[in-house]
Amino acid sequence: MIDRIAALGRGTLDVLMAIGRAGLFLVQSVFCLPSREGFYLWVRQMHFVGVMSVAIVLVSGLFIGMVLALQGYTILVGFGADEALGQMVALSLVRELAPVVAALLFAGRAGSALTAEIGLMKATEQLTSMEMIGVDPLRRIVAPRLWAGFVSLPILTVIFAVVGIWGGHLVGVDWLGVYDGSYWSNMQDSVDFVGDVLNGMVKSLVFGLVVTWIAVFQGYDLVPTSEGISRATTRTVVYASLAVLGLDFVLTALMFGDFG
Amino acid sequence: MNDPMMVEVKDLHFARGSTEVFRGVDLQIPLGKITAIMGPSGTGKTTLLKLIGGQLTPDRGQVLIGGQDVHKLPRRALFKLRRRMGMLFQSGALFSDLDVFENVAFPLRVHTELPNAMIRDIVLMKLQAVGLRGARHLMPSELSGGMARRVALARAVALDPDLVLYDEPFVGQDPISMGVLVQLIKKVNQALGLTAIVVSHDIKETLSIADYVYIIADGKVMSHGTPRTLDVDEDAHTRQFVHGEPDGPVPFHYPAPDFYDDILAPAGQFS
Repeated sequence: MIDRIAALGRGTLDVLMAIGRAGLFLVQSVFCLPSREGFYLWVRQMHFVGVMSVAIVLVSGLFIGMVLALQGYTILVGFGADEALGQMVALSLVRELAPVVAALLFAGRAGSALTAEIGLMKATEQLTSMEMIGVDPLRRIVAPRLWAGFVSLPILTVIFAVVGIWGGHLVGVDWLGVYDGSYWSNMQDSVDFVGDVLNGMVKSLVFGLVVTWIAVFQGYDLVPTSEGISRATTRTVVYASLAVLGLDFVLTALMFGDFG
Repeated sequence: MNDPMMVEVKDLHFARGSTEVFRGVDLQIPLGKITAIMGPSGTGKTTLLKLIGGQLTPDRGQVLIGGQDVHKLPRRALFKLRRRMGMLFQSGALFSDLDVFENVAFPLRVHTELPNAMIRDIVLMKLQAVGLRGARHLMPSELSGGMARRVALARAVALDPDLVLYDEPFVGQDPISMGVLVQLIKKVNQALGLTAIVVSHDIKETLSIADYVYIIADGKVMSHGTPRTLDVDEDAHTRQFVHGEPDGPVPFHYPAPDFYDDILAPAGQFS
């Protein structure tokens, strides 16, 4: 019994210490002063983290928009409200699906790659040798990646939503015959820039920070063995996905939950 | 040992979890000399280098480099101090996204404002010294283990440091690369007048270049002296290590129950 309590205490302490390390790690990395070289490193990472994720976001966005239109049409047509299809597709995408699905895809595509890359650098002592050369790896390796993730996820989210709305148009208007004018005008009337678009962007900014933070921290903090790298990569995807889904609920409740 | 001290380790204690790695280690590394730290595998030699480089923090005791306590320095000052140090890692630890030339140029690019032409000259001189000027365009993945370590040596001395730490420089090298590395470490030390700490368990090679040797076992300094005095040392630990005797104070067998009982243990009682 005592052993179990001790194990529980040790486990709790480990978790608290990891959270503390992760917090310090974030503060030390995020507030690195920008330099000309730092900007160059950031652009490079924008390519690896952001541009390389565009293809998967394009394809997923297109299919999700198409499926939304198809499902939405079958329900709406029953109420004779198929003109509201544009509104339904756009609101679902802008408020929820684009930020959340793009973040989940980002965690799987870019997050796991970041963890594995930094983990491998740690396992092959590249981070240690950088420290010994007198270069802070938090500044040179972690900060550009963190900022790249932070900036690129909102952009990917916008791409996701735009392609999704286009996919919805493809199925709803071109295939199922919803009137083109009502698809766009209903959307224009109902989507509010501040309430919907900006709130969606705030979500994706938060997700971008959290997913990239989890990914780079897991890479930096892992046990430098091949097993450690594989575990940390899995942890990145699992923790980041759970964090995105959990935070989505919290943010949605804060943004749209005011029913009083 | 009246030379001015470059590195001083005083009463160093360090534990990993419940395992005590060091229990009061004292070392004095003189300026401009090659000092070897030797000991059986698993005695924490690499850990000692990491403590000296400030990557790990001791539980007790001090590491002074040029009079500065490494573990009391703020992060920025520590990184500044490290610019005067070079370290050769066991694996080479070359940056895998940069080619050989850029790996050696890396410390120069981040710490100096030198024009490109001058950086090129310095890098080519360093690569010439390790015999790999022709390999400057290769990526680290295209190098053999010995070549990677020579590139890493060129990078470690790129900024002409005052102190170079060598972590197991001879491990896993064929006789030719081993000979080359032994010569290079000696040559670099003489040419640049830098202080070197070589951590190794390759006795013959290390004793051939070291000016002074510390032997570490059981978390303490077991003995120290010049290679000549250690060779005739009568201490059991030192003799076992220096002469490579399989059994002695450091047992050949990991602690285990009696071999006879273990073999004849009845089925169902296997552990």
